[in-house]
Amino acid sequence: MAAADTPSARTLRRHDLCSRGIRLARKMRSDVADLLDIYVERQGLDASVSVAAVEGVPAAAAEHWSEQTGTQRLLDNLAAYRAFRALLAQMLEEQREQLGDADAALGRALAAVLLQVSAFAYHLEELLELESRGPPGDDGDGPPAPPRLSLFEQKLRGLGVLRELAQWAVRSVRDLRQLARPSPGPSSAPGMAEGQ
Amino acid sequence: MRKNPSLRCLLALAILCLTSLVHSQEIGSPGDPQNLKCVTHNLRKMVCTWDVSSRRRHGQTDFCYTTNAHPLTECFKTKEKRVEIPVPESSTTIKITTNSISGTPFATREFEIRKKDISFIPLAPHILSLTPDFPTSTLTLKWSDNGSIFPYGLDAFWQIEILRKETMEKVTQVTYYSKLTHEDIILSWNWTSDMPLECTSHYVKIRCFINITQFVGHKDWSDWSPVEVSPGKDTEPHGSGVFPQDTVVAVGSDVTICCVHEEGQQIKRMTYGPEVYPLIRLSSRSSAIRVLNASASDTSGTNVVCSLSEDGMDGTVLFVGYTPDIPQNLSCETSNFELIKCTWKPGRPSGLYGKRGTKYSLFERISGKNVSCEVNEMNKERVCGFPVLGDQKTYNFLLGVSNPIGQTEASLLVDISQRVHPKTPEKLTVSGNSSTSVHLRWFINGSFTEIRLLCQIEISNGHSEQKLHNVSMPGGKSSTYTAQLNTLHPYTKYWFRVRCSAADHFWRWSDWSRIEEHTTLEAPPARGPDIWRERSPSGKSLKIFWKPLSLSEANGKIVSHEVSCYLLEKPLEYKEVTEPSNSTEIKLGRNDCVVSVIAKNHAGSSPPSRITTVELPSDNVKTDRAVAMGNGIYISWNSYPNMTCGYIVKWCHSSGSEPCSVDWQKFPSNTTDAVIKSALFRPGVRYNFSLYGCKSSGYQLLKNITGYTKELPPKRAPNFTVEETSSDSILVKWEDMPIEDCQGFLEGYRLSFAKGEKDALKPRLLESGNPELKVKNITDLTKKSLKILDLQGKTSYQLDLQAYTAGGLSPPNSLYVVTKEDSVGLIIAVLIPVAVVVLLGVVASIFCYRKREWIKETFYPEIPNPENSKALQFQKNICEGNKTLKTLEMNPCTPNSVEVVETRSAAPKIEDTEMMSPAADTVVPEDGSDSETENHVVVSYCPPIIEEEISNPPMDESVGSSQVVYIDIQSMYQPQIKPEEESEIDLVTTAGYKPQMQLPISALKIESCSPAEEESDKTAGYRPQANTNAWNMDTPDSPGSVESNNENASFGSPCSINSRQFLLPPKDDEDSPKPSNIGWSFTHFFQNKPND
Repeated sequence: MAAADTPSARTLRRHDLCSRGIRLARKMRSDVADLLDIYVERQGLDASVSVAAVEGVPAAAAEHWSEQTGTQRLLDNLAAYRAFRALLAQMLEEQREQLGDADAALGRALAAVLLQVSAFAYHLEELLELESRGPPGDDGDGPPAPPRLSLFEQKLRGLGVLRELAQWAVRSVRDLRQLARPSPGPSSAPGMAEGQ
Repeated sequence: MRKNPSLRCLLALAILCLTSLVHSQEIGSPGDPQNLKCVTHNLRKMVCTWDVSSRRRHGQTDFCYTTNAHPLTECFKTKEKRVEIPVPESSTTIKITTNSISGTPFATREFEIRKKDISFIPLAPHILSLTPDFPTSTLTLKWSDNGSIFPYGLDAFWQIEILRKETMEKVTQVTYYSKLTHEDIILSWNWTSDMPLECTSHYVKIRCFINITQFVGHKDWSDWSPVEVSPGKDTEPHGSGVFPQDTVVAVGSDVTICCVHEEGQQIKRMTYGPEVYPLIRLSSRSSAIRVLNASASDTSGTNVVCSLSEDGMDGTVLFVGYTPDIPQNLSCETSNFELIKCTWKPGRPSGLYGKRGTKYSLFERISGKNVSCEVNEMNKERVCGFPVLGDQKTYNFLLGVSNPIGQTEASLLVDISQRVHPKTPEKLTVSGNSSTSVHLRWFINGSFTEIRLLCQIEISNGHSEQKLHNVSMPGGKSSTYTAQLNTLHPYTKYWFRVRCSAADHFWRWSDWSRIEEHTTLEAPPARGPDIWRERSPSGKSLKIFWKPLSLSEANGKIVSHEVSCYLLEKPLEYKEVTEPSNSTEIKLGRNDCVVSVIAKNHAGSSPPSRITTVELPSDNVKTDRAVAMGNGIYISWNSYPNMTCGYIVKWCHSSGSEPCSVDWQKFPSNTTDAVIKSALFRPGVRYNFSLYGCKSSGYQLLKNITGYTKELPPKRAPNFTVEETSSDSILVKWEDMPIEDCQGFLEGYRLSFAKGEKDALKPRLLESGNPELKVKNITDLTKKSLKILDLQGKTSYQLDLQAYTAGGLSPPNSLYVVTKEDSVGLIIAVLIPVAVVVLLGVVASIFCYRKREWIKETFYPEIPNPENSKALQFQKNICEGNKTLKTLEMNPCTPNSVEVVETRSAAPKIEDTEMMSPAADTVVPEDGSDSETENHVVVSYCPPIIEEEISNPPMDESVGSSQVVYIDIQSMYQPQIKPEEESEIDLVTTAGYKPQMQLPISALKIESCSPAEEESDKTAGYRPQANTNAWNMDTPDSPGSVESNNENASFGSPCSINSRQFLLPPKDDEDSPKPSNIGWSFTHFFQNKPND
């Protein structure tokens, strides 16, 4: 245990977690891209349709991304993936309600991505714990329940959620790369240090 | 007039007006009240109105009326020209007095109003409420019928008009009927719009007509009620959306979908699925599309997208599906008397899923119990469970089916005790400690206490067919059931499985249980083996054979056979022979005994099989032929009455070098024929059968029989030789064939012969179709030779010999024989020519002798005549230039001319390029038109002689050359040329030959031995269109060289451009000189081939 607490061990552990996280995010990006194709086809949507920002869906774009601290990055990621977890669960429920057993392939793909999002959120929590920061409390409900949407709005919101999730997967890879980068000094990354 | 109804109506109206005037007793004077009209709305009171003709101002009006029922006149004053008075029973007299402002009456008028003059017009109905139901696009209208003011039972007609859009376009008008009940009833009417109510405002108004038959006056529709509005979303300040929202419609429907947007926005387009539809403008903020005959949508519905300006977008999802189909094959059964399982097929899919999917419910009419069915939409068969209710046996099920578009149902009445489908039997076990019986146990989940079960046990072993054994037993509650199976065969592996059903009312078998395997125990062999015996040729030993028992007879694994020999109950010999041997030999000497054989297995011994060794003598034993029959051999024999214990047919199988194995078959004494079959029988193999008769004293050989299961053609032909040959006959002899080669009963030989030389390439005699082929058929098998007669002398004959059986001909054996020469003919053929020659010689001698003087004068004169001498003719012909006498021709070497053209310095480069390029060949002019710019030099050359071999000139050397050599190769063949033609020929050759190459003039040293004479057309035809480089580089034996060699013919040149040697002399020019050079090279070898 003593060895595990040394800075070098923590660095190694963080590096390992970041590497695994990057792999997870890449896989998730690939699966979400496939899911987007299936989703657009099965929901009869135009793939080029532009969807306005959906309420409750966290945006991957960040204005001062390069200035963010490591902990801030992790917290942003965690918040986003917790939101996605709730949104995808809702999508899955709506899918079952609307289509029943008729489109099992889409349901399976959605469930698979939901599982990956949950796993990735758990992974982020581990990273935050490593930084002695601890993940923020999860109320479990995610964003407040949106008003009852029409089916068409549900379809568009689903499209928006998946597109943004794909963006987030890319951003997460970049965030984790940034975190995994060896710090110039003997201690952990400066970003991390700030976060602590 | 009859034909014009409008005219008739007008006439009726005019008569009515006139009547009204008469009845009003109008006395027309100015200022008088007139046009009195009375209208009742409720049949009790009526409102009477009138006009005053004068415009003069007047004060109050005195209004008095008297009815028949009440003779008292009632008067009152009124300022209006309208009074409400009771409706009279029959008529009323009205007196209206108009007063001046000061109160002085100035006009009085009396009217008599009869009942038929009164009009009945109900009051305009009042709409109580207009309620829109947006999801169903239904408007609900409510109003009161005001029935309390009318007598009971009147027919009321309500005309309702629906309008829509800002312009209030009429959509529909319907008439609603009701009956008045003398009470105020609130009536309600629903109308479903073909357009969502959100799309635009909808308006409703109503009026009524009460059909009171007792009322004799004029009846009319009431006024329209005030318009009631159901506002559309386009009237709301921020109302927007695409409507209807997430609606389900039936396939084939016409659907209107609208897009309501905010003020200032524009609809760019509306799409239904992938298609863009034309917009129908409803208002400034609403437009719609109309989808006709909608087809079934995808599982996720059809998207309707309204694209708005500024990248705005809104949409809805429309689900188009079918009403649920009537469930098919509804069937209910129970497997355990706890739950009734009903199954059905849904029929045509509705195309709607999830919460819009088809819902099923099972309603039992007798008990009134209802269950909702959870079904999987993806399964082809739907299942729904209903609990078994107490003592209820009969169930009347109603399967309700519904979806958002419609509903249907199916019903089924069942006695559940007759619909028992037990579950698969489980835990099947087989036990048994016997060779013939087993005990089976299995378990069935379910309560069958009230019925009997019928269970079927399938018994199978590897040998016989499957057997089914039915067992009926009382049912139990989740019980174990047992069954005993007897009459099984010992030492047999059995497979068992079980299924069950209701015994009394069979419905369905359960599925088979899993298979259980069991092998019964061994039992002693059922019988002794089938035995035979044979004495050795020496007669001192006896060989005993037995056949193995079949599995069903062995009852176990046979371990040994006990062989003993008894003579009058006294054992002489005893042997125990272990498996797998099926014969043994015992030494008996010349004794006879009774042989006994017992088969033994682990469970015991078989009964003994006995046979006597006594062989009764037989004489005159014949050998017959058997007849093949199918895959067996048919043999028959006469009946022998004294053969009391049957017959035995014995034969022997031989396979290769091994001694033949004895086999036999026993037949009862009444049998006289049999078909012997054996898996070991092979076609083309001769089998010898021996028929023994059985007597109490022993066995007697009756006859031998030979036969084949199938006769085949002989394997080969007999060997044959030529014994004797003469000039007209050949004697051939052949050998016997071994039986194994015959493969059947030999029927004869076939000898074919025809003239023919021994030639491997020639077809075989029998296949050649030779018309001279002769065939001799020898059916006498004892005959081993044949003399062929009537042959030609000194002629080669081919002889083919074949043997044949019923199976066909063998392959032939061939011989070639040459008959001997005919000596008489030869003598004649030699002597006659000799005699003729001798005779001619004698005649010639006599003639020469007699004419010897003339001959001498003619052929050998003492003084020869020069004119008759051929040898001296050249002196004459040489002056005429006769070309035929070449031997004495002495042509001097006449110089021919070669034109050497010196080109300008710029030209070689261009020509170099062109030379290198195949296309350049066509660029060079052939008519010599550019010769004006060239310096012509004539040099002498001798075509056939090349003093120096030209080395391959590199291309860059030729580039720098300033000279082009034109070689008139054709002219090399001209042996003579006339001096006067020289200039002309020179011109022609120069014009006709332009080799498209350059050679350094220094490399050319050519001598012309004789000037050539050439016809102009031949000269002009030469165009070597080849690359000099290729010529030089290729060796003659290279492929390219061979090709170029072939191409020489196309050049039309006798010279190789490379070697400048003669290649091909003109064929038509016999006199052209042969090339004198004899230098040998590969090029010569190929190019100067003789006769090429």
